[in-house]
Amino acid sequence: MRHDKFAPGTRRGVLAGLALAAATALLPLAGPAAAQGFPERPVTIVVPFPPGGSTDLLARQIAEKISAPLGQPVVVENRAGAGGAVGANYVARSDPDGYTLLMGVTGSNAISSVLRDDLPYEPLKDFAPVSLVVSAPLVLVVNAESEFTSVADVIAFAQENPQTFTHGSPGIGTSMHLTGELFGLETGTELVHVPYAGSAAAMQDLLGGQLDAMFADLLVSSEYISGGRLRALAVTSAARHPMLPDVPTVAEAGVEGFAATSWQGVFAPAGTPEPVLDRLYEVVTAALTDDDLKAFFAERGFMVEGRTPAASQEFIAAEIDKWGKVVDAAGLKTN
Amino acid sequence: MEGFLANVGLGLATAFSPVSLLFCFIGVTVGMGVGVLPGIGPLAAISLALPLTYYVDPTSALIMLAGIFYGAQYGGSTASILLNLPGTATSAVTCLDGYPMAQKGQAALALFVTAINSFAGCSFAILLVMGFAPAIAEAALAFGSAEYFSVMVLGLVAASTLSVGSPLKGLAMVVFGLALGLCGTDVNTGYFRYTFGILELSDGLSLIAVAMGLFGVAEILANIGTGAAPALAPRDLSFRAMLPTRAEWKQIWAPTARGAVIGSFIGALPGTGPGIASFMAYAFEKRIAKDPSRFGKGALEGISAPEAANNASVQAAFIPTLSLGIPGDAVMAVLMGAMMLHGIIPGPSFIAEQPAMFWGLVMSFWVGNLVLLVLNIPLIGLWVRLLAIPYRLLYPAILVFICIGVYSASNNVFDIWVVLVFGLIGYGMRQFHYPAAPVLLGFILGPLLEEHFRRALLLSRGNLAVFAERPISAVFLALTLGLLALSFSPMIRRRFRRARAAAGED
Repeated sequence: MRHDKFAPGTRRGVLAGLALAAATALLPLAGPAAAQGFPERPVTIVVPFPPGGSTDLLARQIAEKISAPLGQPVVVENRAGAGGAVGANYVARSDPDGYTLLMGVTGSNAISSVLRDDLPYEPLKDFAPVSLVVSAPLVLVVNAESEFTSVADVIAFAQENPQTFTHGSPGIGTSMHLTGELFGLETGTELVHVPYAGSAAAMQDLLGGQLDAMFADLLVSSEYISGGRLRALAVTSAARHPMLPDVPTVAEAGVEGFAATSWQGVFAPAGTPEPVLDRLYEVVTAALTDDDLKAFFAERGFMVEGRTPAASQEFIAAEIDKWGKVVDAAGLKTN
Repeated sequence: MEGFLANVGLGLATAFSPVSLLFCFIGVTVGMGVGVLPGIGPLAAISLALPLTYYVDPTSALIMLAGIFYGAQYGGSTASILLNLPGTATSAVTCLDGYPMAQKGQAALALFVTAINSFAGCSFAILLVMGFAPAIAEAALAFGSAEYFSVMVLGLVAASTLSVGSPLKGLAMVVFGLALGLCGTDVNTGYFRYTFGILELSDGLSLIAVAMGLFGVAEILANIGTGAAPALAPRDLSFRAMLPTRAEWKQIWAPTARGAVIGSFIGALPGTGPGIASFMAYAFEKRIAKDPSRFGKGALEGISAPEAANNASVQAAFIPTLSLGIPGDAVMAVLMGAMMLHGIIPGPSFIAEQPAMFWGLVMSFWVGNLVLLVLNIPLIGLWVRLLAIPYRLLYPAILVFICIGVYSASNNVFDIWVVLVFGLIGYGMRQFHYPAAPVLLGFILGPLLEEHFRRALLLSRGNLAVFAERPISAVFLALTLGLLALSFSPMIRRRFRRARAAAGED
């Protein structure tokens, strides 16, 4: 990613914005939120994960790009916890005025709600999607020295040895976890799921040969695949991925109809006025056609989605339905 | 060898470019500052600095962020020694002997020694990074959950005599810490445990909040109203006065060396970190000391070993991050994020593909550490003069810093309540002479112990023998048993002798 292409003086802009935010916080808010004139003060994108992860990077890129057309600084704020639920809940409870947005993901805005009954928010009811921004397949990877060279190998082994083949994930309820469960259900195999606290620890054990496989983030695993440390057996999307053109899809490798992706999108609290949503949708999707961002996405394996608010809501409803079935079938429900 | 020298040359060229020097200087200065301020730690500072790195080239960005990280370890001990308030969560151990030294009027000596220890610990770890980073990273991959568990058991057993005073109270506090560690999401099942419906507790209690509460706020509460005399400000602040004597040099070099080794080992293992390193180094020194009773009363070894260890561990933590792309802790994850922001994805081929960046960063460690050493020693006089500020002005300021620091680590107001509650708990514990350090130890090690124990069993399909069958794990368990035998042997021998004497009387 080139770093010299950003508008000069933006850093000053951010600082000025912070000062402005501090100043406006002291004043009573002027009038009801309306689209004309939106935004009148800085916009915050809440990332429900610690800084440094792929969602954080994505949010920072988008914040950078939509700041100029909005004419206001767009600040990224990290509110991590509970696999994204803390940040999501914070946004769900914020004023629906378009000034507090969420960079939501598969876990926070679909899986959590079917996995847990005790979440204080409901993805479909409490959020108004601005746009589903990107999606990416997961990659089924094994250690390069592993005996498994194809999806068929894995299925054959797992069918003969139930409860033996281990696959890791960054935690219960992540898309990596549920994709593994979906794989087990669709292939009629019993895999052992080994949850970790974060993808780094899982990757460490996969590299160290402690784990058999992982349905991993493309971004995280691509370096290890090209560096010859991991072998990619399949991608989980319906079509092959340009970053790994020689790697078959899970469906091509024999699991008919298998398709699962992880995705990220910008969400506003439910009740945000439609003109504001439309304005945000406009700037976010315009940013997706920016050359810098296109290069950023291509380098990291993100597929640009840029769905409309309505299409995004529809997609998320379908995702909740799909993962809900996996959670029920695999008996994963907590609390 | 030639390749190595060429790389070092390349690194020096990068590290000594004016831009790199500038960012290195900014990084370590900011780092030292946040280290000195109680509560505000490197994680908060690096997270805040991350967006700014957008606008500079990736090598400079990395040099600056790394400088904040290791600079904070230098500063962290200052408040521990002078005020009994740890500057960062990982320098709590330094309070144990550093503050008693200050009370004896040896604050300047203690600060000088920790600066030297820190430099020595860093130097050792940097040499390891330069010479053996890929090999060490590969070796660390042999550590699976079974091995991690055994190392943690060794650490817990070694550190069980951490505190002075009643061993029973110490043990009770370890258990209290372990219990606190249970709060949060169970990694294996995803269930929320002991969160009482509070979503903010789902990732457990914040280490920074617990540490700052038990040590910082409790210290302040305990001193309010008692009119406690501040630590003695040494009269003589000349350079000569803070220099250790020949006997003192002799006393510190071995603990420093051992601390550096322990710290480097722990640091190279992803998922552990400087807190564990300093606890283990302190415990180890106390175990092998001829007179363990000196610890906790201002023993030089008691600050040398942990300070060397925590600094070594943060430098060694770069090994798995840079040579495998496995960030060992939250701070490293942010550093990796900064690299990814610039399109550089650290992985197994990073060192080969980005030699200028890797070697530039590593050589900047030398620059940064030298700057820190040079900055630190003249500042000792200034820090010590802080003691002259009346507590009624100092304490409110510190409380504000603690609250800001705890909040900014995760942008979570809830953590401020946690710090206050733990301040009250810590105050109560003090009144009844329950030590705080073992709580922190249990709290740090407990979740790791549980997670690795259960994962090891999950991977072995429930076979407990896995801990003894895997050679590295078996070695650590054997060491643990040896340590236990060593601590019980005087008791057993005494019993045996008594029994024999009794038999002789018959």
